[in-house]
Amino acid sequence: MNEDRIQTFTEEIGELKLRGARADRERWLLILGGLGLVAGVGLAIFGGFQASGTTELGDQVAFLATGTLIGLALVIAGAALFVRYSIARFMRFWLVRLVHEHRSETDRVIGALKDIETKLTK
Amino acid sequence: MTNPILELRNVRASYGSIEVLHGVNLSIGRGEVVALLGPNGAGKSTMIKVVSGLLRPTSGQLIVGGRDVTGAAANALARAGLCTIPEGRGIFPNLTVRENLLMATYSGHKLSDIEESTYTRFPRLSERRTQLAGTMSGGEQQMLSLARALATNPVILLLDELSMGLAPLIVAELYQQVAAIAAEGVSVLVVEQFARTVLGVADQAVLLAHGKVQVSGKASEIGEDVLAGAYLGS
Repeated sequence: MNEDRIQTFTEEIGELKLRGARADRERWLLILGGLGLVAGVGLAIFGGFQASGTTELGDQVAFLATGTLIGLALVIAGAALFVRYSIARFMRFWLVRLVHEHRSETDRVIGALKDIETKLTK
Repeated sequence: MTNPILELRNVRASYGSIEVLHGVNLSIGRGEVVALLGPNGAGKSTMIKVVSGLLRPTSGQLIVGGRDVTGAAANALARAGLCTIPEGRGIFPNLTVRENLLMATYSGHKLSDIEESTYTRFPRLSERRTQLAGTMSGGEQQMLSLARALATNPVILLLDELSMGLAPLIVAELYQQVAAIAAEGVSVLVVEQFARTVLGVADQAVLLAHGKVQVSGKASEIGEDVLAGAYLGS
């Protein structure tokens, strides 16, 4: 290992692009989805209250468009993000568990086969 | 000691909500062999995952070559020269020895050069070059795994449970190879359950239990009583 290799290594490490300090993307999208859901519900209710507080049709339509409709859109988008990433986490744990159980079963099968082989060769 | 080539500073790591490493510190110098010991479930493999970039720590820093690389992609670290040999060897069982070595040419080295250095270091693999890797013995598979890693000219080598499933004689032979690799200047972090096996070649030893460093120091100064205490929980 010569100094050139260490130097090259240090340079390549120096050029690495790093993700941000808190860049657990999945977790943040899950939180964003939850916040979108809550904000959307709040906005929809707010728009509804504002619309019900006036008799002017134009104002009612404006409150519904900018409050309730946008709120509903946020609810749908937030719910989609929240459900998608919640399911992803659940499925990941489920898959890991399946792999773990499969490995345990394979080990048991191998153990049983070895027992049979030992008994047959006696 | 000159600046360490690799450091973990107060690293915490979790799998979901379960914290496995609780504020771990580790330091590896150039050309040093550090043995990471501990019983099952201590967090040794988790620490390897953090160092290799496969698992992002929840807090703390991974310093490589003097730079904080916490969060760096594992493939980027591997390309730079931080190589991991995983538990279970990680060879391709359905490919021949030669084809497994071909996988290492991504590092820019020619297959002929890789084969030459491999068969010089591990003559036994030369006899098996056209044999399927999955049909070789555990020791030969481990040699292939080591050879493939060394073909990439690593600066830091991470070995996870080198001795798993191998006969003591083969393990001793492999650890002599590890010592030779370290003598060439490669820094090695070895995770090992069987302490006596690795302490003979390690410079430093770190004893991990329940996700915390219990003892660290010169390998020659870690006695049987300390090991027994950590493994048996006394």
